[in-house]
Amino acid sequence: MYLPDFEYFSPDSVEEACQLLSKYGSKAKAIAGGTDVLVKMKSDLLAPEVLIGLGQLSPLKKIEYVPGKGVVIGSGVTHNEVRDSKVIQEKYMSVSQAAHHMANNQVRNRGTIGGNISNAVPSADMPPILISLGATATIVGTKGERTLPLEDVFAGPNVTVLEQDEIITEFVIPDGNFTGSTYMKFGLRASGALAVVGVAAAVQVEDGVIKDARIVLGAVSPTPVRAKKAESFLKDKQASEELFAEAGVIASGECKPISDIRASAEYRKDMVRVFTKRALDAAVNKGHV
Amino acid sequence: MSKEFSYLNLNKSASYSYVGKNLKRVDMLDKVTGRGKYIDDLKFSNMLYAKLIRSTEAHARIINIDTSEAEKLPGVKAIITAKDVPSIKYGLSPARYDENIFCTDTVKYYGDKIGAIAAIDEETVYKALKLIKVEYEVLPAVFTPAEAAKEGAPQIFEEYPGNVNTEIHLEFGDVEKGRQEAYHIRTDRLSGQRTLHGFIEPHCTIAYWKGKRVHVQSTHQSVHYLQHHIARIFDMKEGDVRVTLPYVGGGFGGKVDISGTDVAAVALSKITGQPVKVFFDLEEVWLNGRGRHGMDMKYTTGVTKEGKIVFVEAEVILDGGAYSGLGVATSYYTGSLLNVLYDFDNYKFDAYRYVTNLPPCGAQRGHGQPHPRYAFESHLDHIAEDLGMDPIDIRIVNARKANTVTPNGYEVKSYYLKEANELARDVSGWKEKKGKLPKGRGIGVGNGGFVTGAGFCMYRTDLPHSIGMIKIYDDGTHAIVYTQAVDIGQGSDTVLVQMAAEAMGFPYEDITICTRDSDLATLDYGAYASRQTLMAGWAVKRAGEDIKKKILIQAAEMLKVKEDGGYRSGKLMPEELDCKEGYVFVKQEPAVNISFAEVARAYFVKHGVLVGRGYYHPGKLGGSHKGAAVGTSPAYSSATQIAEVEVDMETGETKVVGTWDVHDSGCVVNPQLLHGQVHGAFSMGIGETIWEKVVFDEKGKLLNGNFAEYRMPTALDMPHVESLVLDTFEPNGPWGVKEVGEGATTPTLGCVANAVYDAIGVRVTDLPLTPESIWRGIKEAEKAKEKEGK
Repeated sequence: MYLPDFEYFSPDSVEEACQLLSKYGSKAKAIAGGTDVLVKMKSDLLAPEVLIGLGQLSPLKKIEYVPGKGVVIGSGVTHNEVRDSKVIQEKYMSVSQAAHHMANNQVRNRGTIGGNISNAVPSADMPPILISLGATATIVGTKGERTLPLEDVFAGPNVTVLEQDEIITEFVIPDGNFTGSTYMKFGLRASGALAVVGVAAAVQVEDGVIKDARIVLGAVSPTPVRAKKAESFLKDKQASEELFAEAGVIASGECKPISDIRASAEYRKDMVRVFTKRALDAAVNKGHV
Repeated sequence: MSKEFSYLNLNKSASYSYVGKNLKRVDMLDKVTGRGKYIDDLKFSNMLYAKLIRSTEAHARIINIDTSEAEKLPGVKAIITAKDVPSIKYGLSPARYDENIFCTDTVKYYGDKIGAIAAIDEETVYKALKLIKVEYEVLPAVFTPAEAAKEGAPQIFEEYPGNVNTEIHLEFGDVEKGRQEAYHIRTDRLSGQRTLHGFIEPHCTIAYWKGKRVHVQSTHQSVHYLQHHIARIFDMKEGDVRVTLPYVGGGFGGKVDISGTDVAAVALSKITGQPVKVFFDLEEVWLNGRGRHGMDMKYTTGVTKEGKIVFVEAEVILDGGAYSGLGVATSYYTGSLLNVLYDFDNYKFDAYRYVTNLPPCGAQRGHGQPHPRYAFESHLDHIAEDLGMDPIDIRIVNARKANTVTPNGYEVKSYYLKEANELARDVSGWKEKKGKLPKGRGIGVGNGGFVTGAGFCMYRTDLPHSIGMIKIYDDGTHAIVYTQAVDIGQGSDTVLVQMAAEAMGFPYEDITICTRDSDLATLDYGAYASRQTLMAGWAVKRAGEDIKKKILIQAAEMLKVKEDGGYRSGKLMPEELDCKEGYVFVKQEPAVNISFAEVARAYFVKHGVLVGRGYYHPGKLGGSHKGAAVGTSPAYSSATQIAEVEVDMETGETKVVGTWDVHDSGCVVNPQLLHGQVHGAFSMGIGETIWEKVVFDEKGKLLNGNFAEYRMPTALDMPHVESLVLDTFEPNGPWGVKEVGEGATTPTLGCVANAVYDAIGVRVTDLPLTPESIWRGIKEAEKAKEKEGK
């Protein structure tokens, strides 16, 4: 396997990156850690003539808490940096854990959170937990900046709503009232396995009553999806094991999984039931884990 | 462990200087520093890089191969196809040589070899490959034995009517009589999947010609077989083929066959006159195949009230893939060792190996054994359950004993399977756990073992199986051990040096081993059938003893006991001396001694080079029935493994939480290396039980030729492994040694599967026991129960 020929640019700023993306149009591809792009190029699945490197752009490398705004995670941050960030660990251990359980250590060291999202693989591990916490994505292009709820960024398998000249610069987890959240990944091996099903849950519980709940399912639809029927079912109900089990059954009816070499659709549907129940239980009873 | 266990203590290994010790591997520094050279580290000036042109159809007639565009690409030096190479057929089973260097008429699987391209660098080769246009007439294909066996199925080889590549019908004793005597008879059907070895170094060969001689450097498990077959294929004298192997990055049976890299490198180097390196990408290792056959197994067994087996009827159907390779031997191995393990007289064994349009299958650690062992060990658990017996008790009742002969004619010397079962039962807490664990948690047992080296060469010959030679340096301070034994990571270089040191009485750290070179080292068939420690061990031991004999004769002339107060006066005889750890001494008066080096130097001055020679041939072994050769061996190991698992009853996910192995492995030369083998065997066996399976699409195209989707266990998936040895003694082995490397893989699948059964109460019959298949098994059992309830 070898890389086909390509031209490489290393822009000094986000603006320059966007201009280059605009200039070369569909011939160009942005690259950060390279854990998706380079693998696809080697396998003849992608043949960009121009690669535009984002890895050296320091503005994309921050993780910080901005009072009144929330936790800001630059798109160029690697998964291991997300995992190890004190800011994230203090506020949302669930996000740190989701990054920790992704792929394997080598990929976590190289791959960035922006890449994981822009690549838009249905089984990606970061989108469900971030969507469940209401994260937004800041998108910059030659025509300016826009902010979208993260769940609106995905358009299908490997497709986002980003224009050719746009890149995601940061994600913001806004301050909210969630009392607990978690992401449960079910892969077919302890490490180095894609999610067969991924379920994130974020809940706001007051005196044992669920005031708000968000359930996001990964790997079971063309894009990460919210189990909205299950979410509204939970609202204002007393938390209990039976309740979580019922919500699991409802969520299981809200996904449209496919059968592939890893699992059948039928199995995935049932795993959504199991892991929705377990994720709710953890988020309600253990906080952000 | 606080408990005391009674070990068999048949060895006096405490008195050895080097055998039985955890000495540092001789290749340790090379490997941990990266200084050691593997084939991909080798570079030669003017070397060309080459790859195979592979079929993109599963079964098709080649109409035309258009190489014109590729030839125009600057840097391309040669493109060869069937017309450019010898048309002779080769393989590993002499009765079934059926593979060409490149396909001559039809391609037989997706990935089959059509030709090869050599160019000045890797990038050019890849670019040129994309420019090759092959026109096919697509033929109907078969992908399973069932499809291959159908009336009117497409025929893959003229010489295998009905696509039957190997057919075996054997009967020993009187099965009908057994049936009459049986108190209980049960039939079970189970199946095992195609798996692959999973070594991390892909195949690669560098060849270059010097006049009429060719030098082949390869990733291989045998210097000798590669030399023999290259000579045969290219119509050369064996003496004109030099084979050397750099360090080899794992084999497990996948580097025994002659690889496409070997034949293509020799051919391309001859045509271009330059050194040529042919290399596989990881996916091509899957396409090259030669891993474990997919198998459907049916066992019918009759037992007495006490659980004693009175007859077994076995039928095994193998998915062979496109060529024979070692598959004939695999087919025999699926049946031949069952009554080494269990002692019963009446045995009927039928097997059918079908060719299919998929990559060829061959030998993989435990050659032909792990799947049938899995099936029979599962079957045996059901029989025990039917009888209300403990699974370990039924195994103990049937365990073969030492110094017996199997109905198919194998002489079994040391054999301590009963003791292995007892110790495994005691250390695992079996009695406290079996039948008492909560739902979702289970414990299971499995037995296994293997040959310690095959009794016959793969082709007909009267050559010895191993020759050892040791040369001492002029000044007597260093020894070189010569053998073509192949260290593929298992540690044979280390144990052979330990054995040479012991035999000579010479310091371990002053010995270098010269291996894996047909010009420099001496004949050995290489690393397969778990043969190195016993067979190369005998040759090296005898070479060492030859040296020691010469040293003691020389020393007798040099040593003098004290005139006054010595144990006797007069001239010393060699028999009164011994040599250990570099010193020759008078046995009765060790204070009278002299260094080995001084004696060796004196020998050199007087006689010239000090060389020791050793020879090993196991002699004529086994029965006289057809196929009797497969399964013959000078010695058989046995082992009991126990696994404890936790199954998530909702997801079907299995976590192996504990494993125990007790090995009857003879005298252990290097315990640390043995435990390494056992750990590795559990990793492979657990992987094959739960995760691993080679998958193809409906057109025969490989879908998971990588370590992301062909899931082997990671360190995080591995349980604690407790590895224990019975200190046994094998009369047919040097210092009493037997094998461990392959035998340790054979019980694993059965013990893990039995533990899963114990945990969930349902037998999932098809490997691998993935979360989904267990989930399905549990669901189906629930449904069946509901139906019953209604």
